[in-house]
Amino acid sequence: MSEVPVDLACELLVQSLPAWRVAGRVQHSRDGAIVICGALKDIRIDPASSDPMFRWMVTIDGRKRWAISLVGVLRQVREALDPGYAANRVRVALTPLVPY
Amino acid sequence: MRTDLIPISILTGFLGSGKTTILAHLLRRRGFSRTAVIINEFGEVGLDHELVEASEDSFIELKTGCLCCKIRTDLAQTVQDMLQRRDEGNCSPFDRIVIETSGLADPAPILQTLMTDTSIAGRVMLGGVVTTVDTVTGATTLEQEDISQKQVAVADRIVLTKLDLNGPAQPVLLRRLAELNAGAPVLSADRGKIDSQCLFSAGLYDPHVRSLNVNSWLAEDRRSHARHDADIQTYTIVRKEPIRAITLTLFLETLAEHCGADLLRLKGIVNIAERPDRPAVIHGVQHVFHAPAWLKDWPSDNRSSRIVFITRRVPQRWVEALFEAIGAEVAGVSVESKRRAAV
Repeated sequence: MSEVPVDLACELLVQSLPAWRVAGRVQHSRDGAIVICGALKDIRIDPASSDPMFRWMVTIDGRKRWAISLVGVLRQVREALDPGYAANRVRVALTPLVPY
Repeated sequence: MRTDLIPISILTGFLGSGKTTILAHLLRRRGFSRTAVIINEFGEVGLDHELVEASEDSFIELKTGCLCCKIRTDLAQTVQDMLQRRDEGNCSPFDRIVIETSGLADPAPILQTLMTDTSIAGRVMLGGVVTTVDTVTGATTLEQEDISQKQVAVADRIVLTKLDLNGPAQPVLLRRLAELNAGAPVLSADRGKIDSQCLFSAGLYDPHVRSLNVNSWLAEDRRSHARHDADIQTYTIVRKEPIRAITLTLFLETLAEHCGADLLRLKGIVNIAERPDRPAVIHGVQHVFHAPAWLKDWPSDNRSSRIVFITRRVPQRWVEALFEAIGAEVAGVSVESKRRAAV
């Protein structure tokens, strides 16, 4: 079982859809998965049961992909639901914040 | 402590809001004499620089376009040239640079340039952002012009101008400013006159007293006026429990990845679980973050982590949910690793 309580992951996805301004409903399924319906694609997110490396399985329109962490889940879901999405990569400033 | 870093402050504000008038007054003050000025004018004929009396060798006009979009490389090059002339003794000595942006400039990309350009890294540090707001037309401008909202939202100081024409600022304007940026102190300029000390001590580090103003810089206790239906929102996440370093890293990375340009500014003081005695100060503009600055001590008895967000259409509930979920996952992995190690 993934170490993240599914409730927290579900709540994150519930909040993510309006934050990204994409349509869809996030629901808990009876078998413990998180399901996104009414969106551009059908998405199902299962907590991985035994793999220590990959904690989530994301199924988008029937195609399964592992995700290492919730950060990876979010990225896969956003890419599926928000076609115009282009991820920004963090840049670290070269100038210091304070002089020491 | 490095004393050779030159703080660069940004003076911004919408068209006609009184930036040049303030600058013209400041440059006549003795206390402001060791200041180099860069004025960005956007248009065929630059006028602002004609209104500012400054020695030619510490004053540069950038007129080839708007700083925030077209000439960011020119800005870094200009700063580099100024520093070189200073090093060689070919200009009046200065220990501060002020950039007056054009009225239509978005300050965020300018901040990013100053944070990331390799040609000036190691020589400069960010001062504060000062934004002028005209009390005659300011309320209307803020309603109609997105860029003026951003200029106010990222400010460390807000300066009201043209009070001599309009009397005291109207409550509707003050309310709007508080909605956009309740953390920034609102000052008044009397026909352009204002104390430079309170204006340009707006950054995290105050070079005059050589100390950090963390609480004043964060000003999270003043940020309670956010209007939750507004595009631009300011809010603070507070956590009493120390935060694991990896949780903070993943959280900031994910924010940057998903919010990008909508994360206008982020400031915070964080209690890192691995280093509870030395708080980390964090700062980011859109997807560019400073490396954390580790303070020697906590500035007060309050050891909670406090992260202030200034965002455009990034709901607080999403940010809270992201933080909770990442924190829980990291904690879970840690427990699982210990269990496996024990087995």
